[in-house]
Amino acid sequence: MDVLLDDDEHLISDSARAFLAGECSTKLVREMESDDLGYPAELWQKAAELGWQGMCLPENVGGSDMPLVHLGLVLHEVGRAVAPLPLHSTAVASLTIAHDGTEDQQSRYLPPVAMGETVLTWAFTEVDPRPVPEAVQMQAREQGDGFVLDGAKLFVDNFNAADHCLVVARTTPDSEGEAGLTLFIVDTQAKGISHTPLVTIAKDKQSEVLFENVYVAKEDVIGTPGEAWPIVEDMLDRGTVLLCAQMLGAARKDIEMAFEYSQFREAFGIPIAAFQSVQHMCADMVVWVDGGDLLTYEALWRIDQGLPASVEVSQAKAFCNEKCEAAVRNSQIIHGGIGFMMEFDLNLWFRRVSAWCMRMGTSLDHRARIAHALIDMPGTVVLGRPIPVLVQEDDAVPASASR
Amino acid sequence: MDFAFTPQQETLRREVRQFIAENLNDEIVEEMDAHAGAERPRGPSSEVSALFKKIHERGWLGIAYPKEYGGQDGDRVSQYIVEEEFHRAGIAITLGGSGAPAILAAGTEEQKQYYIPRLINREITFCLGFTEPHAGADLASLRCSAVRDGEDFVINGQKMYTTAAHSATHIYLMARTDRDAKKHDGISIFIFPMDTPGITVRPLWTIQNNPTAPVGTTYGASRTNETFFDNVRVHESCLLGEENKGWRVGAMGLNLDRVGAWRYLISVSRDEDIVNWVKNNQFGDYSPAKNPAIRDKIAELWVEAQVCRLMTMRSMSIVERGDEFTYEGSAEKVWAPEHGVRITEAITQMLGPYTTLLNGSPRAIDNGIFAHNVMGSFQSGINHGSVQVMRDQVARRGLGMPSSRKSTTAGAR
Repeated sequence: MDVLLDDDEHLISDSARAFLAGECSTKLVREMESDDLGYPAELWQKAAELGWQGMCLPENVGGSDMPLVHLGLVLHEVGRAVAPLPLHSTAVASLTIAHDGTEDQQSRYLPPVAMGETVLTWAFTEVDPRPVPEAVQMQAREQGDGFVLDGAKLFVDNFNAADHCLVVARTTPDSEGEAGLTLFIVDTQAKGISHTPLVTIAKDKQSEVLFENVYVAKEDVIGTPGEAWPIVEDMLDRGTVLLCAQMLGAARKDIEMAFEYSQFREAFGIPIAAFQSVQHMCADMVVWVDGGDLLTYEALWRIDQGLPASVEVSQAKAFCNEKCEAAVRNSQIIHGGIGFMMEFDLNLWFRRVSAWCMRMGTSLDHRARIAHALIDMPGTVVLGRPIPVLVQEDDAVPASASR
Repeated sequence: MDFAFTPQQETLRREVRQFIAENLNDEIVEEMDAHAGAERPRGPSSEVSALFKKIHERGWLGIAYPKEYGGQDGDRVSQYIVEEEFHRAGIAITLGGSGAPAILAAGTEEQKQYYIPRLINREITFCLGFTEPHAGADLASLRCSAVRDGEDFVINGQKMYTTAAHSATHIYLMARTDRDAKKHDGISIFIFPMDTPGITVRPLWTIQNNPTAPVGTTYGASRTNETFFDNVRVHESCLLGEENKGWRVGAMGLNLDRVGAWRYLISVSRDEDIVNWVKNNQFGDYSPAKNPAIRDKIAELWVEAQVCRLMTMRSMSIVERGDEFTYEGSAEKVWAPEHGVRITEAITQMLGPYTTLLNGSPRAIDNGIFAHNVMGSFQSGINHGSVQVMRDQVARRGLGMPSSRKSTTAGAR
């Protein structure tokens, strides 16, 4: 038991921070908000030279097979710098191929990821924005040696820049919930795909993607057709906790700017940092972001240990959504009018943290999942001890076995 | 990072649970409740002494203290595990709050040899004489005086909220030894027996009395005290640390007292209780467990409780590494007590009028523990440094923000 960062973890975090401090100015961040691609190819390449894209991929595809905690630390720094890199969406998709894809899929799709030659993304969400299986309504019908996809996905990250996209659809007609889902690797240039950019408060790249009779070959199915839910759930869990890390990095930097600003901004002849009301706001902001860090690292660590982590992931996201949003909102308040001005940089953090708080499950969504584990499962709960994992009582395979 | 206990620590936890199941009973738990009101001889009863002898034989007392003073030279996390399990069973086996860490850090060799082993085996217990009628959050403004007279000090004054002053064998007292020095510089700490002539203890009954709160209530119970010192003469060997240098000694001990199993469990016990209650109970045909608003609230508070746990683990990690807190202990002392209040108040809105029913009332749920919690949970945000003072410390020590008092004075000039 030592919940603090060890020397290796500090090194990863410090070197990522130093790299981005040198490479990612707020000028660049602003430029990329109106850039068509949304990220600088040169920086993406440099990130690959540092091994970020391949950090948790197997060595035989050019990765370095490191724990997810390390990638969490890097994404924390990416968030801190609000770096315009499609690292999160690429990680969500590539880690799923690495965990659940065939050797053929891994050797086809992963080496270009590790080399920084490609961007990947994933598409789960449709009209119902909750991260639950019943929200997937998109259909895929078997045809020849493959499947034909029809439907629409919303809130797809970096679709404009991605070469491939993991898509969740129903291959069993009239199936409901967890049953009948299949996960596909789809070429974003495939015939029948069109996408419309969404205009987000983060001014990042998200799209609504329309699939009209899009053919996907059988060798691009991840896992067994109709039985993808455990794979998809793991994908969402990894993506959710990594998004927490990124959000926390950005929130931490955002609140540090408020602490700094309060030290030199004067009112009534003294720095506003000397006002107890401001101090207590700042103390709360630190406590909230510290709490988010601890929940997030515990969830990442559990995934690395192969332990059930669904509840811990939801704990982290439920908490970070509300507390990071409150922390960066407090930061806006401490900054006063100037924080509301577009030319002042604070908004670059505020807008992104706000957007990330709303994606991959709201606090209500994640608390519903926690409540199910706490209340609906038999047995007595004890804090600090494992609580019943999220399985249907008639489910033969415990969720833990799928990790 | 590592969020797991070692297999040895997990084994230790199982052994402690087994021991508790075999050796604890209600009478002992009641006596161990520091707030228990009954007037009785100072020090532990023969039953409690026998129990502590057994626990000591297992090597579970003062695990993280040096062997030469009766400890085990063990790790802080193992000590935490033992403390947590005993707290869950309703008894405190910590070494009388801030006394033991302060003696270890600032005591003479003779004091360490005398006090630490006896604190560990429960021969000696401390009550804390810090707060006064006019000195709470601003403790350094205390007035209780200790005036040197040859090799002795003569103590006069009054201490407030001296919990367990009627049952403890000794007091850990902060007094003013130099009236002319700046307020933090004229303070000393004394440790001496409570049967020293000139001490009067008067009970102060809390709103947890009549009916008495059940064991395990958040900031439980019924009795604390005010204690008067009337020409109390103690030898200079009772000084802990140097004369007039007591402020830092006292503050250090308090810091360590703000974190750990006790603070954690009083803040989160009701989270477990309400989850387990709604799983197994309903009001007629109405099942609170199926109410979506209640489910959401329970999950929200459960997550907060996890943050309490993780902040406690962070504090343990820092102590175990041999590092000092910058603000982490204070952060934990903001979060956990306020969580304790939030869970308590949320439960009142889940169970409605049942939460008004006290211990012994017909229809009371779980001996009225939720109702008693309403009357006590906020206490955890007051004692040992209020959450407001703790926020000041996070801002000033953690973030380097200036003292509002100094800046205001400077601004006025």
